[in-house]
Amino acid sequence: MDAVAAEWWKLRSVRSTYWTLSAAAAVFVFVLLLAFQMAHIWDGLSVERRADFTLRPLQELGGWAAALCLAVLGVLSVTSEYRSGMIRTTLTVVPRRGRVLAAKAAVVGTVALVAGEAVSIGSFLGTRLVVGDRPFPDQGASIAHDLPDFAIVGASVAVFALLGMSLGVLLRSTAGALVSVVFLWHVLPLLVFQLPEPWNERVGSVMPGALPGQIAGRSADSSIYGDLLPPGAAAAVMLAYALVPLMLAGFALSRRDA
Amino acid sequence: MCGGPSRTTVDRMIEVRELTKRYGATTAVDRLSFTVRPGTVTGFLGPNGAGKTTSMRILLGLDAATSGEALVNGGGYAALRRPMREVGALLDAGAVHGGRRAFDHLGWLARSNGIGARRVAEVLEQVGLAGVARKRVGGFSLGMRQRLGIAAALLGDPGVLMFDEPVNGLDPDGVRWIRELMRSLAADGRTVLVSSHLMTEMELTADRLIIIGRGRLIADTSVRELADRFRRGVLVRTPRPAALTAVLAAAGGSVESMPGGALTVTGMDVAVIGDRAAARGIPLYEVTPHSASLEEAYMELTAGSTEFGAVAS
Repeated sequence: MDAVAAEWWKLRSVRSTYWTLSAAAAVFVFVLLLAFQMAHIWDGLSVERRADFTLRPLQELGGWAAALCLAVLGVLSVTSEYRSGMIRTTLTVVPRRGRVLAAKAAVVGTVALVAGEAVSIGSFLGTRLVVGDRPFPDQGASIAHDLPDFAIVGASVAVFALLGMSLGVLLRSTAGALVSVVFLWHVLPLLVFQLPEPWNERVGSVMPGALPGQIAGRSADSSIYGDLLPPGAAAAVMLAYALVPLMLAGFALSRRDA
Repeated sequence: MCGGPSRTTVDRMIEVRELTKRYGATTAVDRLSFTVRPGTVTGFLGPNGAGKTTSMRILLGLDAATSGEALVNGGGYAALRRPMREVGALLDAGAVHGGRRAFDHLGWLARSNGIGARRVAEVLEQVGLAGVARKRVGGFSLGMRQRLGIAAALLGDPGVLMFDEPVNGLDPDGVRWIRELMRSLAADGRTVLVSSHLMTEMELTADRLIIIGRGRLIADTSVRELADRFRRGVLVRTPRPAALTAVLAAAGGSVESMPGGALTVTGMDVAVIGDRAAARGIPLYEVTPHSASLEEAYMELTAGSTEFGAVAS
């Protein structure tokens, strides 16, 4: 627990933590502003145009962008130590390297989970609140019905943060880890979407961004992702995105000279 | 302070046995053995690239030895549960996050080893950084960073301390402060290992010297022994060099004429030279025991074992 408390102290005593969290909060505010805009547009639309006017893409924007912000936080939590050489101090005061990594993962994962849920669920509830009783075609379900979907997206934010952290350990470079994270977050799914049939859908189903929807049992028709996985398999793949890189990072950290 | 008479003998000890570290084809540390005992400041000397930092990193569990052992308090460093309470180390004062405040830097360190926040305030006071505790480390001078690094090493009140080149880049006041701190830590009964590539510095700080070159042990000695080993005779000036030479030679000394009329006498100490000269009424203008400076001794010892000048240690 001492190691966890120390990592928590580290994380909250640097400005980059507040910058990345502020960026996630800014995304949420931006989503709300866009919701006002959409409500305004809605009011001016004819009845037949309203039938195609959905709120959902906007609601999903929050969690999607928060994933990148928190992945950056995960990367920096490690690479800032490699950049300064402080990692050697860390490993000197806590010689069990597995413990260092576990403590970092606990802190980064928890912060990202809280922030991710706040932004994702906040974007869902906030946009609903803003549009009020305007009957958007995709908002027919009750809040309780749609909420788990957004909670899963919030959890995927923590997966991205852990992925960023592990890449930071493996690559030991801020630039390298950030580029890798952005690649996995958005560039790779776009490339996969261009694959010939049926591979675009097959590979598109295991992209990190595709998993929350499949866990919630939602169709991916309007997205670049596939939806071939049953919920359980999708959840397992999502867990693997968090844990496999973490285990590789633990292996590398304990084997390497610091 | 920490510990008491009940401690066993392996406590507060650094033991390196047949330690070897290879990086590919390069051998950084080559079957190095030495022991560092409590109560004295031990200087760890060697030219840049001699293997000092590598040895310290292995002692701190940061690098894995290729073979051999590096023990602290009788065991491997990695086995220590709360290492800061047993070993304090300063490897690189620059290795701090510039955006973090001094108090926070020491705070997380203390927390990692279950040390209270009050101790953080104490060490900040001790190293003279209490006034800038809430300032970000990025704005610190090199001297302030060294002090912060030393504060971190002292946090757990450890019995063993290791400092890697602690006076590098310090102003004269800072150098003197560190020198006095090292000596007082040793006087408390702690084991203090200080690396340096400057003999002139160690001469003033250390009691014992471990000198290495190219990863190998060159000398494990006390400062006094080293000075004695390199004693170079007695410089004598007299208006009657020929007469004095004859007298001293007859008494068993060996005398060499120096340019400018001075004599260098070996095999005889100052008192004997004075007595013999006085007995014959030969005036002496100067009698100076002359040893090679420790710096010269060190240069001589490490000659041929310097890695190319530009390699960082």
